Formats: sequence, C-alpha cells, structure tokens
Amino acid sequence: MSDVVKRSLRAGLRWTSLRLRLVVVFALVALTAAVSASGIAYWLNREAVLTRTQDSALGDFRQEMQGRAASLPLHPTRDDLQNAAVQMANSSPGYSVLLVDERDTGKPIVGNSDLDTFTLDNVPAALQKAVNKQQRVEAGNKYEYHLFWQRTSIRGTPYLVGGTKIIGGGPTGYMLKSLDQERQDLNSLAWSLGIATGLALIGSALLAQAAATTVLRPVQRLGDAARKLGEGKLDTRLTVSGTDELADLSRTFNRTASALEKRVADMSARDEASRRFVADMSHELRTPLTALTAVTEVLEDEADSLDPMIAPAVRLVVSETRRLNDLVENLMEVTRFDAGTARLVLDTVDVADQVTACIDARAWLDAVDLDAERGMMVRLDPRRLDVILANLIGNALKHGGSPVRVAVRTEGDELVIEVRDHGPGIPEDVLPHVFDRFYKASASRPRSEGSGLGLSIAMENAHIHGGDITAANSPDGDGAVFVLRLPRDAEQLTRSAGGHGAGDRDEEDDAT
Amino acid sequence: MTSVPFLLLIEDDDAIRTALELSLSRQGHRVATAATGEDGLKLLREQRPDLIVLDVMLPGIDGFEVCRRIRRTDQLPIILLTARSDDIDVVVGLESGADDYVVKPVQGRVLDARIRAVLRRGERESTDSASFGNVVIDRSAMTVTKNGEDLQLTPTELRLLLELSRRPGQALSRQQLLRLVWEHDYLGDSRLVDACVQRLRAKVEDVPSSPTLIRTVRGVGYRLDSPQ
Repeated sequence: MSDVVKRSLRAGLRWTSLRLRLVVVFALVALTAAVSASGIAYWLNREAVLTRTQDSALGDFRQEMQGRAASLPLHPTRDDLQNAAVQMANSSPGYSVLLVDERDTGKPIVGNSDLDTFTLDNVPAALQKAVNKQQRVEAGNKYEYHLFWQRTSIRGTPYLVGGTKIIGGGPTGYMLKSLDQERQDLNSLAWSLGIATGLALIGSALLAQAAATTVLRPVQRLGDAARKLGEGKLDTRLTVSGTDELADLSRTFNRTASALEKRVADMSARDEASRRFVADMSHELRTPLTALTAVTEVLEDEADSLDPMIAPAVRLVVSETRRLNDLVENLMEVTRFDAGTARLVLDTVDVADQVTACIDARAWLDAVDLDAERGMMVRLDPRRLDVILANLIGNALKHGGSPVRVAVRTEGDELVIEVRDHGPGIPEDVLPHVFDRFYKASASRPRSEGSGLGLSIAMENAHIHGGDITAANSPDGDGAVFVLRLPRDAEQLTRSAGGHGAGDRDEEDDAT
Repeated sequence: MTSVPFLLLIEDDDAIRTALELSLSRQGHRVATAATGEDGLKLLREQRPDLIVLDVMLPGIDGFEVCRRIRRTDQLPIILLTARSDDIDVVVGLESGADDYVVKPVQGRVLDARIRAVLRRGERESTDSASFGNVVIDRSAMTVTKNGEDLQLTPTELRLLLELSRRPGQALSRQQLLRLVWEHDYLGDSRLVDACVQRLRAKVEDVPSSPTLIRTVRGVGYRLDSPQ
C-alpha cells in the first residue's frame, strides 16, 4: 500500500518537475522577449524625448543669443550682462542662462539669470573649452564658433548644458536646462514597461501551466495505461482523440498493447496446450498402467514357481511397472500443480501420528529415528504431508543411508519437521537445484531410482500449504538436512486465497 | 452373506476389466463384470452382488449416475474406481453415495483390502441396542429405526453411526473415524467422513441442516449426542 503511495508521490514530483521545466522555459522566453522589447522601446523613447527637449531648448537659446546677447555693447557692464541673462532666461522659461564676457582683456565678467542654480562651476570644463575654441573657417566649416551641448548631472539631477560664443566678439553664453521632468517621464515609462514585463511573465507562466496540463494529462493517462499494462491488464486501451503527436503515441500504445495481448494469448495458449498434452498423456498412460498394475501381483506371486530363466524377466516387468506407475503418478501431480487445480483437503491431525503412519506404511521404522511428541495438533492436508515426508525421508534414505533422523517440533505458528541423514551431503553446486524437476545430481548418473520429481512435488506441496522446504548441509559436515516448515493452521491461507477448505465444509453448523 | 464375496465390476476398458477380474479372482472373490453402466444396473438386479466396484468414466451413463441410481433402491457398498484423483471427481463421487474410492492405477492387494474393509462394516459384532432421541440403533439386528420406521443405511453409514454411538458424547476426529470405519491408516481422505456424515444426517436428523444428533466439533471432528 505504502509502495503505491510512494510511487504516486514520486510520479507527482516527476510531473511537477516537467511542469516546472515547461514553466521555466516559457517564462525565460517571455522574459527575453519582454525585456528586449521594453529595452528597445525605452531607449527609443528616451532618445526621442531628450532630443526633442534638447532641440527646442538649444534652438531657443540660439535665438536668444542672437537676439539679446549679440545686441549687447562690445564691452558691456556686469549689469548689462546680468539683465540680458535674466531676459533670456525669462523669455522662455525652463532654463537658466549664464553670460560671460570681458570688460577688458583678462577681466571677465559674468551675468547669470539664476545665481543659485547656475554658475560657471556648473559648466563642465570640456564644454567651456570646446565653446571657447576658435575654429578654423574652411569650406566645410563656415563659422568660428559653434553651439555645443552636453548632458550633465548636478547633485543627482540631470541637466542639459549648452554653450556658444557670439561670432565677431561678444559674450559667451551658457544655458542650463533641467531634464528632471524628462527623467520622471522616462522613469514612469520604465515602470510601466517593467510592470508590462511582469504581466507578460505571469501570463507566460499561466500559459505554460495550461500547456503543461494539456500535454501532461494525456501523458499521465498514457502512464496510467502503461502501468496497468505492466500489471497484466493486457486489455488496457486508450481512447484516441485528435491528430497530434500524443494521439499518435496513444495509437502506438494501443497497437503495442494489442500486439502484446495477442502474443501473450498465443504463448499461454501454447503453454496451455503443452500442459494439457502432458496431462492427457499421463492420463492416457494410466489406462494400460492400471491393467498392468492389477496383474503384476499375479506375476509376482507366481515368479518363484516360474522357470529360473523367466523369473528375472517377470520381476523386471513387475518392478519397472511400479516405476512407471510412480512416474505417471508424479507427472499427474505436477500437472495438477501447474494447472492450479491442486486443492488442500484440510484436517486437524496429530503430527506425530501422521509421521509415524508415513514411516510405518513404507516399512521404514527400523531405518528412521523419530523424535516427535504426540499431541501436536496441526491443521493441514494429511495426504500432502505424507507425500512431502515420504519424498524427504525416501530421499534421505536413498542418498544418506540409515539412520535418518526426523525431528518434529513447533516454533510459534509454524510446524517444523527436520529430516537429517548421515550421508556425504549435497555438493554446493547442486544445492540450489535439488528441488528442480528432473535435476540429476551428476551427469554420470543419468538413471536415478526416483522419478526426478519427488523433491519438486514435495516443495509444491509445502507451498500450497503456505510453507516451505529448505535444503542444507549439516554444519558439522555429517549429512544433509531438509527442513520443512508449514503453518500450524493452513486454514487462513485457503480462506484468503479463496480455496476450498473442503474438509471443513460443515464446521459452521455448531460449536457446542 | 456368502463366504466368498460376490463382486460386480463395472469398467469399460477391456484390459483393465480383464486384469482386475483376474486379480480379484485370485484374491478369492467371485467377480461378475459389465462394460457399461446400463449393463451393470441390469446385472445388479439379476445377480445381487455383495459389492460394486464402479469405474467413474463410463460411456453412456457415467459412474456417478450409476451410483445415484443404485442408491435410490439399494444400500449395498460401492467402491469408486476413479482415473483421476482430481478433487471434484472425489467429491461428486462421494456425494452420489459411494462408500470409498480408489485411484487408478490400483494394486490388486489395495483394492482387495478396501473391499474387505467395506464388507466388514456390515458384520454384526454386538447384541445390544441404544437409543438416541427417536433414533434406535439395534446392534443385534444391525438396523436403525427412527420413530419406529426402518432407516435404509449403507453398511458404511451404519458403521459410522455404530462407532459414534459406541462413544456417545465423545468427539471423534476424522482420522479416528477413517481408521475405525474405513480402516484407512491415518492418511485417509477426510472428505470420506464428511460426505458420509452428510448422508447419514440426511437420513437420521429431523432437520439435516441443523443437526441435533450428529454434531460437528470444530477443529476436532464429530460427536453423537442424545438430543435434550
């Protein structure tokens, strides 16, 4: 149960990560697009705004310079300059003006419109130099002086500083225009663009979510279907809608699933056919065997009185008929297990009695040391316990020789029967295969006395009880130990497995 | 009962029929044979055998049906010869009224032992009688009456009732009953007991589905009680 939860959680995380990846990619694309668009828009706007402001301010300044500053006397007084500067500044508000002239050579005088904000210190030296530099008049340059401008920042506020000199002697004029308004406009533009970028990001994330959902839901359906297919529900199919890649994938899935289903059906049909063949064959063998078996005793009884030449042949027929009998019997047992038709017939029995009966019935009492206390009541199938014990003890006697020790005890809810021989033990490489069908311990010993199915049948009989058999070598190197473990009550197993606790059909009647 | 048991063997396969006839004859039985269920039923009416050995797989009416038809009128012992030890076969066979079953291929000695065990069940061994409620078991006449009416019990059912009645109030395990009634050694099929108990209940209990006489003791087996 927790496995399922864990798996779905892991799947959830995986989905989330794919979703996350989609969202991140979408967001990155949106961010790149929005940022570059906003950047370009901002830059163009900034240039346009600044250029317009600049052009109008500088154009105005140029006219003022021509109109007012040029009309000043050649050696104006400081007041003249001052007045001219104030007038120039007032004529079109928005910038301050600074006029510089020389009363006499080497005696500069300055007039400014606004002493608080604009002095010559505010004019960058490079600009002053450029303004005051007399240009050579050539073909491409008709004037000695030009209007120069520069953007500067005074105490954190951006300003436009322009300056020029009247040609033919006159004051040098500077203007200072605050660009604060433009900066505010541009800032608010930047904010707007930022918000728009943010909105674009959010929008792209939402879109990515939606896209992820439309992609992931079919993927999840596909995943669920694949899981079901893996769990053996081979008839799992997807409903295909649309013509996109996912629909293609679904169609491929469906084709694969039906191919798989067909192949599995083919294989199980073939398997079933071969199993039925073995079952039918052993069944068919039974009829002649029954006739043979019924008369072998007649032959056996008469063997002693037969011709000494014929007696061995008769004995051989008798013994080989028995062998064939055992083989067919075991084969039938195996096919019942394979076909799943083997059922438990449970009864409450005294284990010690059962083990004794098993040993007694096969005349093994002299060869087996039994360590079992009477009174251990266990619920199991006595016939199957007999089969297990007969195979384990028979095997021990065959390979280990007598005495074989059989110890019966209970451990908690388990019945433990230990069969120990004193033979050479089982080679380590053979140990994992002792319960395999027809496994022969050595290739040089192709004909074993048993059918080659005994231990495998014993194991199947233990399994059907919900038990197990383990084979090991005794730690002291003295022989092999087979340990059979069965639940003391096999009833729960058959109940939960929906089997028939046939021996207990009417136990519900009363319990008085 | 004659000293030489007279058996009817119903088996369709020639080889098996011949071989079993040979083997059983050597064990000291008188054997009549039939190849089909219909012939077998006819022979049964004509010759009155002591016991029937009945193959399950028969052409025409199968062994189960033969068994059911015999049980309608006769209580003589029937041993089923089944080719499969598949559980469903055994259960159906026992429910249709067979006393015991052997799985093919069977050794002559084993079949002989089963036959003799079944035949012994009808033998008288005591002369007293006992009553449990309205059911009276007369051990000298080997009859059981309920409210004065004779009950038709097979030897196996009768023996089971006798064994239970010998130890009233004491629970007997299925394996004990298998040993006492069927003479199987511990490894018997407990379904034989269950099926026989069902049939016995159907005959002696007032309401077979809620038995008051033959009680089930959970985890142990069965017990015969005097109804309160």
